[in-house]
Amino acid sequence: MRAYLEFAKRSFQNNLVYRLDYIAGVLNAIVMIFVNISIWKAVNEDGDSIESIQLQILVTYIVLSFLMQLIYTMDEYIVENKVRSGTISMDLLKPINFRLYLFSMHLGTLAFRIIMQFIPAFIVSAYIFRILPVFSLQMFFYFLLSAIMGYLILYNLNYIVWMSTFWFYWSFSLVTIKDALIMVLSGALVPLWFMPTWLTDIIAFTPFGYIFSTPILIYLGMMPESDIFDNLTRQFVWIVILFLVGKGLWLMAKNKLVIQGG
Amino acid sequence: MTLKRYSLLDLTKIFIQYSKLNLKSMLEYKLDRSLLAFAIFCREMVAVVVIILILSRFLHIRGWDLNEMLFLYSFLFLSYSLFVFLFSGIRDFDQMVYSGGLDRFLTRPIGIMFQIVASRVDYPATLGHGLVGVILFLKTSAAVGIEWTFQNVVYYIIALVSGSLIQAALFMFSACASFWAFKTENLRNLVFFNARRIAGYPITFYPAMIQKLLIFIVPFTFVNYFPTLFFLRKEESAMFWEGYIYLTPVVAIVLLAAVYQLWRFGMRNYSSTGNEAG
Amino acid sequence: MALIEVRDLVKTYKVNVRNKGILGSLKSLLVPEYRYIQAVDSINFTIDRGETVGFIGPNGAGKSTTVKMLCGILTPTSGSVQIGGLSVAKERKKIAAKLGIVFGQRSQLWWDLPVIDTFELLKSIYRVPEQRYRQNLSRFSEMLGLEEFIRQPVRQLSLGQRMRAEIAASMLHDPEIIFFDEPTIGLDVIAKEKIREFLREVNREKGTTMLFTTHDMQDIEKTCERIIIIDHGQKIYDDSVEQMKRQYGRTRTLAVEFDTYYEQVYLPGAEFAGEKDNKKWFTFSKDEADVSSLIQWLSQRYKIVDVTVKEPEIEEVIREIYRGGVQTVESVS
Repeated sequence: MRAYLEFAKRSFQNNLVYRLDYIAGVLNAIVMIFVNISIWKAVNEDGDSIESIQLQILVTYIVLSFLMQLIYTMDEYIVENKVRSGTISMDLLKPINFRLYLFSMHLGTLAFRIIMQFIPAFIVSAYIFRILPVFSLQMFFYFLLSAIMGYLILYNLNYIVWMSTFWFYWSFSLVTIKDALIMVLSGALVPLWFMPTWLTDIIAFTPFGYIFSTPILIYLGMMPESDIFDNLTRQFVWIVILFLVGKGLWLMAKNKLVIQGG
Repeated sequence: MTLKRYSLLDLTKIFIQYSKLNLKSMLEYKLDRSLLAFAIFCREMVAVVVIILILSRFLHIRGWDLNEMLFLYSFLFLSYSLFVFLFSGIRDFDQMVYSGGLDRFLTRPIGIMFQIVASRVDYPATLGHGLVGVILFLKTSAAVGIEWTFQNVVYYIIALVSGSLIQAALFMFSACASFWAFKTENLRNLVFFNARRIAGYPITFYPAMIQKLLIFIVPFTFVNYFPTLFFLRKEESAMFWEGYIYLTPVVAIVLLAAVYQLWRFGMRNYSSTGNEAG
Repeated sequence: MALIEVRDLVKTYKVNVRNKGILGSLKSLLVPEYRYIQAVDSINFTIDRGETVGFIGPNGAGKSTTVKMLCGILTPTSGSVQIGGLSVAKERKKIAAKLGIVFGQRSQLWWDLPVIDTFELLKSIYRVPEQRYRQNLSRFSEMLGLEEFIRQPVRQLSLGQRMRAEIAASMLHDPEIIFFDEPTIGLDVIAKEKIREFLREVNREKGTTMLFTTHDMQDIEKTCERIIIIDHGQKIYDDSVEQMKRQYGRTRTLAVEFDTYYEQVYLPGAEFAGEKDNKKWFTFSKDEADVSSLIQWLSQRYKIVDVTVKEPEIEEVIREIYRGGVQTVESVS
């Protein structure tokens, strides 16, 4: 276990090299937030008007959504690079669990992003955009729990796509398509409550809604307590399903590697 | 040692050869490239889907309806697609410098810029962005009531081409940084693609400062907003000087002239510093 | 007039001194510090048509920088490079038409396409007349054995095949001068020999001037008539390879195989250098002893099975020159 902690720490430190990238990421997020808020403010003035408190909710939703997207960003080509360079065979020979190793690396990056990106960006956004505070302390804990599970859902989903590199070599296209789906169906750009019902019905059958929308709704106090347990459970179930699919693909991939001799 | 000047025919022949090789290279990986084009298409459609979702719910934003918004957006995709088709070389210039490709170009008896432009075509990006643009254009240009008179057609073509050139110039500014060994890819992406994102919506949605930014500093408004005003004649047109609507080609020329000077200065300097490996 | 004239060539780099740490980086940003590196410190030489010249020097010594200035890739800080009477800095394109360049580490062949495709592209870039193109192509194919892989994508070729294609590509337009930068790097012995043979042939047939920068001493010995050594940005040696071996490297190695193992063998005028089984090696200076008397001495006292005399390795010669604190030696041609 200590070894994996080491990996996480090392990943954390490695990220320091990419300082400028991180600042660029924060600026990017703030611009995106600003653009989106401007659009919603413009919407506010026409036709179906939104009440002021509703606007505040929307603003908070957008800020949280984009900041979470920011820190959940992962380097999606680690596995592909290892496969292409051949070092994947070396990693398999080592006495460590590759999946756990990969996860520790991403955790290290996540921790880094939370400290270097989320906290400063949140403070700046809170000041500029005047977002709402969390609905209640209780909701805050549920939010944290839900957010962690949301990350795990995203991670396992990404992992499944990363496995494609063992069969398709270049995974950029699949990663891009996956990202596009997530952006739309997770409510990351447009809150699910603004979408037509036929669409939200479909989304309910997918894991997408549970990545961003669920935790943010909890934060905003828009989810009645009776529903929270239900949603958290669903999140958990999705994590397990995606985890198992990912594991299955990994076993198939390992087999393929062994047979082909890397 | 004399050298007969390279005639236009000579250069055309060379350009055709380059094009042949670029096309062949792409066809080598047909499946992969098609998938890539599709992936880019999906990625760019996200912004369109967002607009559709919002407007199917709210119908109008500040007097703009769905078709008008998508028409505005189509300019961005079509002009970017044209830019990438013709000038991928400029987009990838810093990579060329880094990999030593520029050195190789310097050893050939033809112009450097010519080689940069001719040597690379990004078909997947051209198709991905282009397809979105074409779909949007076809669906909305009729719906917003544009009459395709000769004047309008000419204006549209000029606006589109100038829009590509403006984007080419912006990329070239960033590419010049490679001469002094600065990696500005991140900064450039930050500025360019965010400005583009902002320009996707009518700039009247934003505070005055942003409007000025997109008119005077990163002039995306001349790529899509003002040309759209030419066709749509909305009330808000009154907010801006009427001349803006015709300025797109002027902005393109001014930017290109400026960046060309910078590029020539950079080339001279590059030959002086090169890569420092002894 | 010499084909290539290099006069007082100087290249100075201004390097940003980058400080460590966050504070240091800020400081570098606000108050930039520079350091000047003299990569090439006043070099002079001339090269005539048809010569084959090798440039040798430690890494970072300035030889690649010098060659880059000859090719027109870098502009000198001061001094001049003239090729065919034209200034390289001012008439890049004119000169480029007569140059061929082979970078051992960076190919100009299109990776995913058949070799022949890149050839056709080069044909159009250099405006090679159809007739001459076909002639050259068939000649090179024959001499380098290109037929077997000329239609294969470059990514499928072995290193040896790629180098052969690369070299042919650089010659399609009949350049008067060809620069080779590490042309045989990574190749096996047979492939190297084939390439060297080809280059010698072309030099003989067409009188093409050839310049090499390489770390492979065999390349120099087998293809170059002249050698220029550059160290610390200065030319420290410039003479024919023959002359260099004659002037330096006066040490010879005598390898003697005896019929049995002798505990100690004393050989006046020579130094014991090593042994293995029944073989012993001795080094001696050509000035102080001659081979026949040494062998005579040995054969009178011991039973000898076999004797060989080894010339000094060219590396040793060059090492000697580096070490020697040499005054530049110019050849009087």
